[in-house]
Amino acid sequence: MGETIASKEMHEYFDELEARLKEAIKIANTARARGGDPKPIVEIPLAKDLADRVENLIGVDGVAAKIRELENKMSREEAALEIGRQVAEGEVGSFATKKDAVEAAIRVSMATLTEGVVAAPIEGIDKVELGKNDDGSQYIRIFYSGPIRSAGGTAQALSVLVGDYVRRGIGIDRYKPRPEEVERYVEEILLYKKVASLQYMPSEDEIRLIVKNCPVCIDGDPTEEAEVEGHRDLERIGTNRVRGGMCLVLAEGLALKAPKVKKHVNKLNMDGWDWLTTLIGGAKAGEDEENEQKNKIKPKDKYIRDLIAGRPVFSHPSRPGGFRLRYGRSRNTSFAAAGINPSTMVLLDDFITNGTQLKVERPGKAAAMSAVDSIEGPTVRLRSGDLVRVDNIKEAYELRSQVEVIVDIGEILINYGDFLENNHPLMPSPYVFEWWIYDYEAACSEEIPEEELKNPSSFLALRLAEEYEVPLHPKFTYLWHDIDRNEFEALRKFVAEKGNFSVEDGILRLPLKACMESGVKFILEKLLLLHRVKADTILIEEALPFILCLGLDHQLKEKAKMPDTDNMVEAAALLSGFKVLPRAPSRIGARMGRPEKSNLRKMSPAAQVLFPIGNAGGITRNIVSASSYSASMNGKIGEIEVEMGIRECPACGKETYFWRCDCGEYTRPKLFCHRCKIEVRNSETCPKCGRKPTSVANVKLDFHSIYKQAFENVGEREKMALIKGVKRLMNGQMTPEPLEKGILRAKHNVYIFKDGTVRYDMSDIPLTHIRADEIGITAAKLRELGYVEDVYGKPLERDDQIVCLKVQDLVISYDGGEYMLRIAKYVDDLLVKYYGVEPYYNAETIQDLVGALLIGLAPHTSAGVLGRLIGFTRASVGYAHPFFHASKRRNCDGDEDCVMLLMDGILNFSRSYLPDKRGGKMDAPLVLTTRIDPKEVDKEAHNIDVPARYPLEFYKATQEIKNPTELEGIMDLVSSRLGTPEQYDHFMFTHDTSDIAAGPLNSSYKTLGSMIEKMEAQLALADKIRAVDAPDVAERVLKSHFLPDLLGNLRSFSRQRMRCIKCGEKFRRPPLTGACPKCGGNVVLTVHEGAVRKYLEISKEIGERYGVSSYTRQRIELVDNDICSLFENHRVKQLGLSDFMSGSAR
Amino acid sequence: MDRKDIIRVVMEKEYQISPEAVELICSSNSPEALLRYVLSTVNDSVIVIGTEHIDLEDFAAFSAGESISDKVHVFRTEKKKIFSSASILSSRSDNPSSKPNSLLVPDSLSKPTLSLKPDIVTAAPDPIIKSSKDSVLDSVLDSVLDSVPDSVSVQDMLQDIAYEPALDTPNTLDTPNTLDTPNTLDTKSSVTSSDQTSASYLASDSLSSVKAEPLTFLSRSSQVINRSNSPFFGQENSLPFSSSNRIFRAEQSSSSSERGIFSSSRDEYKHYPGKNPVTVVSDITGHSTCVGEYMQFVQYFRDRYSRLSEIIRGRINARPIESLKRRNFRRGGDAGSEEISIIGMVSDISSTTNGHKILSLEDPTGSFSVLIRNSDKELFELASGILLDEVIGVAGSITNDGSLMLATKLIQPDVPNNIQRRTGSHGKAVLISDVHVGSSKFLEDAWLDFLDFLKGESDSDDMREIAASVRYLVVAGDIVDGIGIYPDQEMELDILDVYEQYKKAAEYFREIPEHIRVIISPGNHDAVRQAEPQPALPENIQAYFPENIVFVGNPAFLELDGVRLLIYHGRSIDDLVASVPGVSYQEPSGAVLEMLKRRHLAPTYGSRVSISPEKKDYFIIDPVPDIIHTGHVHTLGVQRYKNVLLVNSGTWQDQTEFQKRVNLVPVPARVPIVDLENFDVKILAFD
Repeated sequence: MGETIASKEMHEYFDELEARLKEAIKIANTARARGGDPKPIVEIPLAKDLADRVENLIGVDGVAAKIRELENKMSREEAALEIGRQVAEGEVGSFATKKDAVEAAIRVSMATLTEGVVAAPIEGIDKVELGKNDDGSQYIRIFYSGPIRSAGGTAQALSVLVGDYVRRGIGIDRYKPRPEEVERYVEEILLYKKVASLQYMPSEDEIRLIVKNCPVCIDGDPTEEAEVEGHRDLERIGTNRVRGGMCLVLAEGLALKAPKVKKHVNKLNMDGWDWLTTLIGGAKAGEDEENEQKNKIKPKDKYIRDLIAGRPVFSHPSRPGGFRLRYGRSRNTSFAAAGINPSTMVLLDDFITNGTQLKVERPGKAAAMSAVDSIEGPTVRLRSGDLVRVDNIKEAYELRSQVEVIVDIGEILINYGDFLENNHPLMPSPYVFEWWIYDYEAACSEEIPEEELKNPSSFLALRLAEEYEVPLHPKFTYLWHDIDRNEFEALRKFVAEKGNFSVEDGILRLPLKACMESGVKFILEKLLLLHRVKADTILIEEALPFILCLGLDHQLKEKAKMPDTDNMVEAAALLSGFKVLPRAPSRIGARMGRPEKSNLRKMSPAAQVLFPIGNAGGITRNIVSASSYSASMNGKIGEIEVEMGIRECPACGKETYFWRCDCGEYTRPKLFCHRCKIEVRNSETCPKCGRKPTSVANVKLDFHSIYKQAFENVGEREKMALIKGVKRLMNGQMTPEPLEKGILRAKHNVYIFKDGTVRYDMSDIPLTHIRADEIGITAAKLRELGYVEDVYGKPLERDDQIVCLKVQDLVISYDGGEYMLRIAKYVDDLLVKYYGVEPYYNAETIQDLVGALLIGLAPHTSAGVLGRLIGFTRASVGYAHPFFHASKRRNCDGDEDCVMLLMDGILNFSRSYLPDKRGGKMDAPLVLTTRIDPKEVDKEAHNIDVPARYPLEFYKATQEIKNPTELEGIMDLVSSRLGTPEQYDHFMFTHDTSDIAAGPLNSSYKTLGSMIEKMEAQLALADKIRAVDAPDVAERVLKSHFLPDLLGNLRSFSRQRMRCIKCGEKFRRPPLTGACPKCGGNVVLTVHEGAVRKYLEISKEIGERYGVSSYTRQRIELVDNDICSLFENHRVKQLGLSDFMSGSAR
Repeated sequence: MDRKDIIRVVMEKEYQISPEAVELICSSNSPEALLRYVLSTVNDSVIVIGTEHIDLEDFAAFSAGESISDKVHVFRTEKKKIFSSASILSSRSDNPSSKPNSLLVPDSLSKPTLSLKPDIVTAAPDPIIKSSKDSVLDSVLDSVLDSVPDSVSVQDMLQDIAYEPALDTPNTLDTPNTLDTPNTLDTKSSVTSSDQTSASYLASDSLSSVKAEPLTFLSRSSQVINRSNSPFFGQENSLPFSSSNRIFRAEQSSSSSERGIFSSSRDEYKHYPGKNPVTVVSDITGHSTCVGEYMQFVQYFRDRYSRLSEIIRGRINARPIESLKRRNFRRGGDAGSEEISIIGMVSDISSTTNGHKILSLEDPTGSFSVLIRNSDKELFELASGILLDEVIGVAGSITNDGSLMLATKLIQPDVPNNIQRRTGSHGKAVLISDVHVGSSKFLEDAWLDFLDFLKGESDSDDMREIAASVRYLVVAGDIVDGIGIYPDQEMELDILDVYEQYKKAAEYFREIPEHIRVIISPGNHDAVRQAEPQPALPENIQAYFPENIVFVGNPAFLELDGVRLLIYHGRSIDDLVASVPGVSYQEPSGAVLEMLKRRHLAPTYGSRVSISPEKKDYFIIDPVPDIIHTGHVHTLGVQRYKNVLLVNSGTWQDQTEFQKRVNLVPVPARVPIVDLENFDVKILAFD
């Protein structure tokens, strides 16, 4: 990959980051060298590029060099296949068996495809085995497991191709499935779809086609509890349970990404994959795309199919009144994040705020929301009858209580790149200022200030339209397409007969009462023709363009006959003689997905130190109480029984449980084979039985002295009330953390994750430009951080200048900043009191942390990315450059991930702590990417457009519903800048926003209390929004949330497990003794009547109130009866002791 | 001190007490002292005081000690119980004689006889197998009892007998050489007790059989058999049911003034008189007591344990599990390890790395692990069919460290080998299920043909003749397709309104001639609670139907003019297919056979069967019925097992989308008709 291509300024930036990273590592190495950790050195290796990461991740020597070599000659994907072949054939690396080589080959190849970031190559492929065909030949079985999901469809599909590619090289035959095996796949994938979820569900025939022809056997471990009902106990399929990994690879991989696979097959000239053509031809000719090719965009209701209570619908599919599409990119949108006006956030009852995920109709499935106040806000009818558009958040707060109906929820800003990424045909652009200005520039040479052009008077708009034939300005273009011919004619007639237009003040007056009776008011609202109501009169300001569009003259006389057309936009144009274009041709439906997040990471149950204390700490896992625990009345105080790994000192031979002996030597695990009852030395397996030996044993620990010693070591006073430990360690050799760390963490109130690091989670939002004043710092500070000029090339002097964000700089929430400060203090304490070295951060306020290095890490991945903290935001999100998000393999459609403080990571992370189970290596910083190379980030980021304005051709192309790929050449995309210094610099945006964090602080989904409260709020909002069909919302919520919940809980009540409240032990059924057989504690139900009944009353009530279908109402009725029947004693007369007494007296 | 007082005192102490225990205390020399003693020693975790909590010998020792000093000895050993029941038995033993029961000629038929020819198929009765009975043992024991009443030596002696013979009980089915050889004195069977015990368990009317100790096999056989054939309703105190049940009821009848906590069963005897009478013997309808508390779950499983363990207890002399832990089982010299038996509910099944099986067994005193070695092929195979939560007996030895039992024998409650084929009634019963009215896949044409047949309007004479002899029509659930049973069901419905579905169904049933008695039990598609036992359809729905239809719950135990019929919809078949090797949807009666072996309709908890924790486990198959009728899986199966006829009736719904996907081929429009006289089965086809 060679040198980073960047400007001098960027090079300085990267060098500075790396220099500071090296310095930090030096400090950490010195500290760790003192032996306070399992390893004396920092355990996160640095990876400069993809090749490094792949080698570090998979651990095959020589791979990195080879990848670098191959990448010079060919594309990434080709290189990935080639390196796979070379590994399999033994040209790179060396392996004991053919099987091992194939396995490593597939992993390496897959890691290359996924930029060496995600855990899928190590965690998603369990193993590779060789099976036997009925004709005696061998075939390859690849065992996929759940984490393969993180690889994404393309890499999943290509891994199968790699398998095929490498098996040919070493002479293994193709897989020849038996007929019953084919059917098993069909059943299993259908079942998986039911119990889990699939993005794409292939048809049964497609599944058959794939299984019959795929030359590699796609196998997997069971991941779901569900078992297939037919096709059981097949000889060559080891389980009757559902194999999730297999289902994903087959459905979301091969079936969905068949075209991509085919491209590679063709390139590599591989035979035996011709069936892909059938697959692509057969399935892909879907009706949807066909229709959209024919210049029609049909409403899609997929995003509201599974409605959840409390997450409101903002617009039904493509309905008038829903979000109006506006093309463009703001500095805080793109990359699956869309912009809306902050007043929309406010008027939609605060359900949306920065970072809130919306499930959208198109172009993708979901998008995170960002505040962009340069686009239009919602149009509302107030109780007074006024129709006003609210673009300003202050006004939104003022008017909120007066809103009667939200006639239109405003614009949504989506960039071209998102359409390109989703390969969604471009929807017709509305006639907006950005487009109008091209028409204006082309026709008119007058010098008019931009501000006036943006918001012209009706006279100016009409003058430009009349003199220069510039289309009517968007400000005076109404939503003619939303009314039909009858409405148009009625309106025209009404205005002509009842209207009163005064040329002087430009106001059209209409009698309110007649307007209401005739429904004209409603038509005006549909047109979004703003008006006010005063003294029983509707007042329309600057009404002349409207009057002209109706074909009336200044005296409201009909000056032209109604043209013979059903297209009312055309009618308005013909009647007025102006060019009139559609104002809102594309509407986008949306509902709330998940709320934004900004919170510290806690495991469940939370822990502050990875030290096992069994049940001695009670259910809070309190180390403090464990230190004074005694098993029995006269048991030894503080002696606890826990599972530990037994270790041995190689120097003095002493046995211990810790990684260091009292003599200072590092100990090593003492391995036993429990079966053969022998000690195993210098071997991975037991020499006698070949099983994996373990060092784990149940030991009695004198915890009290360990506890005392730890306090003494860090010089803290023993007056803490709660230090949370863990019940049992999860790592293979049961390596505990030093207790001292827990004491200091408790002191600073920070919590850890399974790998020993402290983390803070935030929703991802992209940010390409910043202003010092909105991220809580000064221009001076920015200059200090290496920012020299603003986005227009002017020297950076003022706090309100916009500058281009550097790719590894982060803006986090204030709450996150406070937590970082606590971590910094904890780290300093640790350095001083535990390691005995100088403090590193010396931070007193969060401002002191500006410039601190962080590690960003996303779930399902294993590679952290180096970042730098440069500011704070009120929004509950984490802002970063889209490249930073992409380097973690995230986009911004509502995902969240974490940051940690660099010094905390390098000091406290150890691979020894990682759980020894599937997925254990996920979400851990196994390597650290130090420099972001846009070429090596998720390809999705290459589709971001970064121009200051979109070309006119673009707007024209949207009218023809062109495919976005046709315009790639004329749009300024990141992909076109790759390999030049411009890949880092001089990005622009089309729409600015005055405050990236504008809008409510938190989504009301988070602030509302119970689910029922949320549901009420959701329905209240549905009642208010014109684009939402409230009864439909009610029905859908009942059908997809409340009824399944009721039925599910009812079912689980009757099949429930029991739980001991003392020790937490779970039971499949109640013990016959009644009490917990382990500890004698009380056993309780896990599902109670209350949980079953939870949504019953509200369901009944909502069903009535919204008149949902009788089918749904009957279902509720049946559930009601069921619940009564189960929880009510059927014996009318309850017989108690008193009854009995009277009976016996008789 | 009479029974009522005992119950009152117990209830005041916030315990409940089983009728057997009341009886036991009543029969003591000093009931008051005994009761006081029991209440002072009983464990807090106990809810229902049963006979197992009454330790007569301890009490004897206690009262003896009390008279000398005021010290209280609280210790228990298990042998005492046998003694206690023995003593009670002998004191109450009023049976005049016990004749050798060599006259018994039980039928047994265990071959599946499913065949699906298009028209009429007759499942011929299989050859009769006679089981050998041995009179010698009976008389020996009788004499023992008669001669040595109430003495410690009897206890020891009985124990010896009980310990040894149970170990290698020959199965009569496995020993065909005993065919037609009544009265053969086999050396083994001379000490064998289990068969007889079970038989007597079913039929004897002695109180002692509650405890089902070995001595109870002194079945007053012939006499009892006679009695069981006689119409038994209206005859107070002589209901020929399982002894425990019988006692249960007898106790209640004797204290009729008290409508106390045990009165539940009495209400269940709903009788529908007429030419085709129906008696509902056991049915949850109107008796559900579940309010959703933890203790109800415990009680439910305790009831299951106590009733199923009673059945097994007849065949092995089991200890409480707790006693295994207290005792020191270290091998004492050359004698080898002692053989020990326990009865437990399976709480966990696992495999060792070497492929042996480990069962965790639990009884109300504790739990213990049992190892089944895979080298013991036969036993291992049996063990691989063991299900979670079934109650089994295990005999074996304890390992040296006392942590594990090495099993040598597994005993399921099963049906006694020598259960009698009872002489039936007359006429025929038509068994159907899974009608699914309202489904778009409902086969209306076939169904109308079937109705024509019932009306005697078939084309063929044969069919008309059969129709004329039909007395009962039994529907084992899923009369309509229901609504909301599975996601997007509305796509596959012709009638979207569940009440309209029932109205339509009622319309059909109104066409059935009045001489046929219709019995309808619900299934998982019906509009009743999903948790089983399910009560009968609600009254508003019943009202759509003709008045003479009998609505019962699911499961329901009925008497059709003397023939015992157990109806169960069959939700648990799904579980059994998934967990018992060799059981498939194609042969559903195989699943029912597995239920019968376990004497339980839905052994495994927490899987596909939703349960309502009732006081009584309605799933227990006790007494053994003549016919078990199930449905649910839409396939047809007829089989006989030890004189019990197992019928899984098919469906009236064509293959659904779901069934297509899981490769399930339904058998629609085939109707099994049972001859109530000889239990022959014919299958009529209406497709």
